[in-house]
Amino acid sequence: MTIQSDVVITINNLKKQFGDYQALNGLSLNVNKGEILALLGPNGAGKTTTINCLLGFLKPDSGEINIAGTDPQQDVITAREKIAYIPEQVALYPRLTGIENLIYFSKMAQIEKTELEFKELLKFVGLPEHAFSKQVAGYSKGMRQKVGIAIALAKNAQALILDEPTSGLDPSASHEFSHLLKKLASQGVAILMATHDLFRAQEDAHRVAIINQGQLVDTLGFEQIKQVQLETVYLEHIKGAVTC
Amino acid sequence: MLTLALKKEWVDAKRQGQLSWLLGIAALLLLVACLSSWQSHSQYVADQQAVSESERSRWLNQGDKGPHSAAHYGTYVMKPASPLSLLDAGLQDYQGNVIRLEAHTRNNALFRPIQDTLSIARFGQLSPAFVLQVLLPLLVVLIGFGLVATEREQGTLKQLLAMGVSPARLFFSKTLMLFTIASALLIPVALSILIFNTIELRAGLFLGVYLLYVLIWCLLTVAISSLANSARKALIILLSLWVFTSLLLPKLAMYYATTANPVISSQAFESRLKSDVYTPEREQAIFEFKQQTLAHYKVSTTDQLPFNWGGAQLQFGEQYADKKFDLLFAERNNQLQYQSNTYQQLGILSPFIALQTLSMGLAATDFKHHLHFAAEAEKQRRLIQQTLNFNQRDNAHKTTGHYKAGVELWQKIPTFNYQSPSFSQLYQQYMPSFLNLLAWLVALTVLCAFTLKKIKREEQR
Repeated sequence: MTIQSDVVITINNLKKQFGDYQALNGLSLNVNKGEILALLGPNGAGKTTTINCLLGFLKPDSGEINIAGTDPQQDVITAREKIAYIPEQVALYPRLTGIENLIYFSKMAQIEKTELEFKELLKFVGLPEHAFSKQVAGYSKGMRQKVGIAIALAKNAQALILDEPTSGLDPSASHEFSHLLKKLASQGVAILMATHDLFRAQEDAHRVAIINQGQLVDTLGFEQIKQVQLETVYLEHIKGAVTC
Repeated sequence: MLTLALKKEWVDAKRQGQLSWLLGIAALLLLVACLSSWQSHSQYVADQQAVSESERSRWLNQGDKGPHSAAHYGTYVMKPASPLSLLDAGLQDYQGNVIRLEAHTRNNALFRPIQDTLSIARFGQLSPAFVLQVLLPLLVVLIGFGLVATEREQGTLKQLLAMGVSPARLFFSKTLMLFTIASALLIPVALSILIFNTIELRAGLFLGVYLLYVLIWCLLTVAISSLANSARKALIILLSLWVFTSLLLPKLAMYYATTANPVISSQAFESRLKSDVYTPEREQAIFEFKQQTLAHYKVSTTDQLPFNWGGAQLQFGEQYADKKFDLLFAERNNQLQYQSNTYQQLGILSPFIALQTLSMGLAATDFKHHLHFAAEAEKQRRLIQQTLNFNQRDNAHKTTGHYKAGVELWQKIPTFNYQSPSFSQLYQQYMPSFLNLLAWLVALTVLCAFTLKKIKREEQR
């Protein structure tokens, strides 16, 4: 697999402390255009803090972040235009339909598209057409994930950040989701996926970054991922970490 | 943005069912209140017209009699209903609306409309003003308490912010949406003004202050919804604020205003009107006036005067009493005015108090307007007494026997045609309430700025 070398997300020597707790301790990594980077680490390793810094939700104590040429600490609005975020539990309005959710979120963010274009997005992410006009309250988690991705895609974001995207998905939905991620990456989207799902990381990621106690402890390239027992490597690196 | 937010909230709430129910109930209450108020207002206007015509006719057709007999025969004047009293009857039902004009006595207003209802009806009164001042904020709270708090609970707030929606844009679109829905309930008010009133300053300001009041509650509701950790907590805080500012505080403010500025009782005041006016000093003053008059005309008895002494003495007695009446009424009215002003100043603690004061003032149904009516009625009484007394003074001595006047004299008394003062004459008296509402708006603007910071911090969760 050829990976384009254009860097979309750069994190350099990032530090963030909450009281006495050092959440990030000099973390550095980058994600390239068209690349899926799986960010692995035990609970408390700093994955969510990293994501919150990337989204401009948290201000790091020191270090640098760059998203397609923009520092979210300097210009959060422009940075958020370039980045899309899908949390573990995609938050949607339960009484609105899938298409209504997509239109509302997009238009609130001043993204103008026709209804046909929005429907095309839902089709692209694989949401069955009969579900477009059903209230989201009746959706499975996989269907909600798809709407979440459609919302992210509506922005034409250059980077996609996913927090535990496959948590709670059945194997079939997880596989479908994996297929969708690869499709997006092939279109040039840089994808950072924080996950505990080692199987999906090994299957989908072009690179794997393992972090522990706020630091990058290892990075595995595409060839290495396929050759090693990822679980063994991972457990070796996080030995001693408190997990729950 | 507004249309989008409106559409989303409408669809969301409609599918949940609560919004249409809330708006339906509020619209029904307002409709019932408007119809009931329109009926009583129409009845009052008809009564006032009938009483005025009947009193004028009674006055003109009283037959030939001595002018002083006519002065005691007297007449009644009834306060006309202001057009906006249809929407806010204010104190109209609790103040007398009829004043008897007669010789020697300045009467208090009589016949309070509330006397014509069953006692139990006092607890069930539903007026447009009550719906707009008390129930409309409750509606705003019930519709808006979850606007931001629910978004936070279901995670869509963070999702929206991650999409690049600015907290300010989100906050103001929700506030504007809530304001648009709540203001829709002012449409019947605007229509009532258009149908039953001529467009004038009072009507425009009346609508304006209610819009300001709605805006205050919308800002407060969305701010609390943004600051509270959950929709349930937001609802509890907002309901507490509503109870405190709209129900509890007005009662406490009125209690404080009346206890801090006590007024002598009506019975004691009525008693003073007699005891402080008809005194030996008055008899002495009349005696001195008589002596001065006799000296002036260089005569020894009143029969030798070139006019009727009875008429002159009556007018002197009236003028003497009027000065005493002015002092007594001014003292009592000042006490009542202090109460009213104290209550008005406490509007800084409650937008309800500020709005209530402004609303009654604009509708011309408050104490200040009642005083104006009473003062105009008193001017009419004095005009009647002076006209009758002077007629007796100038004519009674020309006839032998008992002097009688007729319809020509009665016609000289102009019809009492009361005109409410223009609001521009009184606006300074209502400035404290207006400034109190503005202070609430400014305070809420500051709270909103703080709220936006809180929403931004919310992103860190």
